[in-house]
Amino acid sequence: MPRVFITGLGFVTSIGNDAATVVDHLYALRHGFELYPPFQTSDIPCKVVGTIKGFTTDSTDPEDWTFPAAYAIKRELLRSMAPNGLYAHCALLQAIADARLTPPDISNADTGLYAASGGSPYLTHHHHGRLQKVGVMRCSPLGIVASIVGTLNFNLVAAFRIHGASCGFSSACASSAHALGFAFDDLVLGRQKRMFIVGAEDGNRDAILPFAGMRTLSLQTDPGIASRPFDAARDGFVGTGGATVMVLETEDEVARRGVTPYAEVLGWGQASDGHNVAISHPEGLGSAAAMRLALEASRVEPADVEYVNAHATSTLIGDISEARALRTVFGPALPQVAVSSTKALTGHGLSLAGVMESAFCALALRHGFIPGCAHLRTVDPECAGLNLPRATEARPVRTVLKNSSGFGGANVAVLFRRAT
Amino acid sequence: MSEATVKPTLPNQPVAPAPKPFAPEDEVMLRESLKRCSPSTFEAAIQFRKTGNPDHVPAVVIGVIERFVEPDLRVKLKDADDDLRLVEDLGIDSLTMMEIVILVEDVLQMSINNEELRNLRTVGDVKTFIDCKARGLPLPKPTKFLPIEHIGTVMPIQPPFLFLNEASVSSTSASGKYKITGQEFFLQGHFKDNPVMPASIMLEALGQLAVLYLLEGAPADPGKRVSPLTIFFTGCEGVRAHRVCRPGDILSLSVKPKRMKMPLATFEGSIRVGADKAVIAEEITLTFGFVEIAEAPAPAAAAPTITAPAPAEAAPLRAAVNA
Repeated sequence: MPRVFITGLGFVTSIGNDAATVVDHLYALRHGFELYPPFQTSDIPCKVVGTIKGFTTDSTDPEDWTFPAAYAIKRELLRSMAPNGLYAHCALLQAIADARLTPPDISNADTGLYAASGGSPYLTHHHHGRLQKVGVMRCSPLGIVASIVGTLNFNLVAAFRIHGASCGFSSACASSAHALGFAFDDLVLGRQKRMFIVGAEDGNRDAILPFAGMRTLSLQTDPGIASRPFDAARDGFVGTGGATVMVLETEDEVARRGVTPYAEVLGWGQASDGHNVAISHPEGLGSAAAMRLALEASRVEPADVEYVNAHATSTLIGDISEARALRTVFGPALPQVAVSSTKALTGHGLSLAGVMESAFCALALRHGFIPGCAHLRTVDPECAGLNLPRATEARPVRTVLKNSSGFGGANVAVLFRRAT
Repeated sequence: MSEATVKPTLPNQPVAPAPKPFAPEDEVMLRESLKRCSPSTFEAAIQFRKTGNPDHVPAVVIGVIERFVEPDLRVKLKDADDDLRLVEDLGIDSLTMMEIVILVEDVLQMSINNEELRNLRTVGDVKTFIDCKARGLPLPKPTKFLPIEHIGTVMPIQPPFLFLNEASVSSTSASGKYKITGQEFFLQGHFKDNPVMPASIMLEALGQLAVLYLLEGAPADPGKRVSPLTIFFTGCEGVRAHRVCRPGDILSLSVKPKRMKMPLATFEGSIRVGADKAVIAEEITLTFGFVEIAEAPAPAAAAPTITAPAPAEAAPLRAAVNA
């Protein structure tokens, strides 16, 4: 079975649009939140968003968008993108440069791309509005590929001339973790030599506000405390968008190209709650099962895990479920494993979250630190027993576990190890 | 049994421009629709919407096409001739074509069917097509590419006096190519040890292209077609030769009808070699006449009756093409 390594990363996130800035934020626990201008009206009770800086995508016309000059994107490509497609395109360019991939490395039958986004409710809304207003035959010919779930893989596979496996994943907030897991399987099974994992979300009004009806969004007006997983005073998640791209390669490719990987992907597991369409299992049944399967597949003992990057979104029910699942899985080893949720800094990236936070784990492994629990003051008694470091710990880390959970009770856990 | 029940979709209803008067809010929407087009495009669109005058249509169409062409290719549209190809020269794919169509529909307030789009290959095709729509005229026949086999079959003129290797014919123009091989019999004497294509032969080649247009492109009265037996040269004016043409040169010929009224058809014609102007003919006039189309038309049979060598030559070539 070939081993699988992370060889490249690209970021357009609320805490930075390149790996160095992201590391700075994770290490110093600097968040990426702002009072989001479109939410500052009396009819919208939630105010804070993990905003993307350096890009403007608040028009339905991609030719109005602005983005850093380093990314030259032709209209021919831009016209079929959603905002999350633009973020992903830029993150993919970064990841390709980071992994030192040449065009022949990218465009071949052994290289594939798995992606996850919730599509673009913003553009769907716009294009359906036009369909009603100006008539069926005059809706934009590229409206569908720009807005439906799958828009990321359609656009990126064509733009980057990908010839290997391509697919979109849709398990809500576990989507890009699923993409990572199945990409790992394709590499282990010898079906592919290299996979791009892409997660992205618009992170705008239409992507975030539909969660308001569930009462899962934080109504805090102070960006400094709006997102605080495991805190007794938490009141919901803060939305964010952006994109992250991760390059996975087999050990043979790593050796052939002579690149230094960030980390090794050891294995993964998934399990479902089978409980409720939108509420996580109160005991974290599926999450615990996913972690156990990941540990078994990776041949790692719970006591060997040094850090868990939690799914914890800062919602009332979800954080408790995950805390219970961690207790179940780690048992006596629980005090030794540091747990934090970097959503305290970024906000909840929905489909993007899994790969974004897996990439944070890769950065933590390479640079030797465990991000602390930002904004955590009083631990919720229901989450007691977890080792929740308040400050960032600077120390070499060897083995890290990443949790992701989505609607329907889908749970994914992935294990990473420092590349030595 | 009527035609109408067979074809429920209107082939081409005259588009009465803007049945309702052009309101200030229409102008706001028009400005928004055309915000990435040149000011002159917007002006032309405003004029068309206010007056319904189809003379403004070409400026709108070119302006919309320009907006969708990558900036580095836009220079080609600056002094574009109508032969500029959408796909090959301007990089417009079928999705961009749809973007163009939807914007044109929106701006000119007309509807275009999918089938109508398939044959639009050049800027000229698009201009003509939209112009016909705006004026409520019948749509032009699509541009046909005619290989030498086809040309040999329909033309009354035959080798060694046929100076067309290939041609494209639409209802508004014809273009063709002829490569001077050096084997042309007259080059032995024109001139001694210095083969130069005679200007008279180049004029002849333009005339032959005009003949092909009359046979394959010109609109005919219902139930009739132009007979190859009726076409003859009558005159030409304003002929100028600008460049000496020699063996190896590829002549790019084009003709456009200026006037057509039975029995006279007058064309303007030009020949280029690469980017060089070679010959200009301001007017070439031919006579022509119609014949009734037979009940069961046998197009291949028409040609053999004209000149003897045609069937022998054409038949095996056609067989090869069909094989």
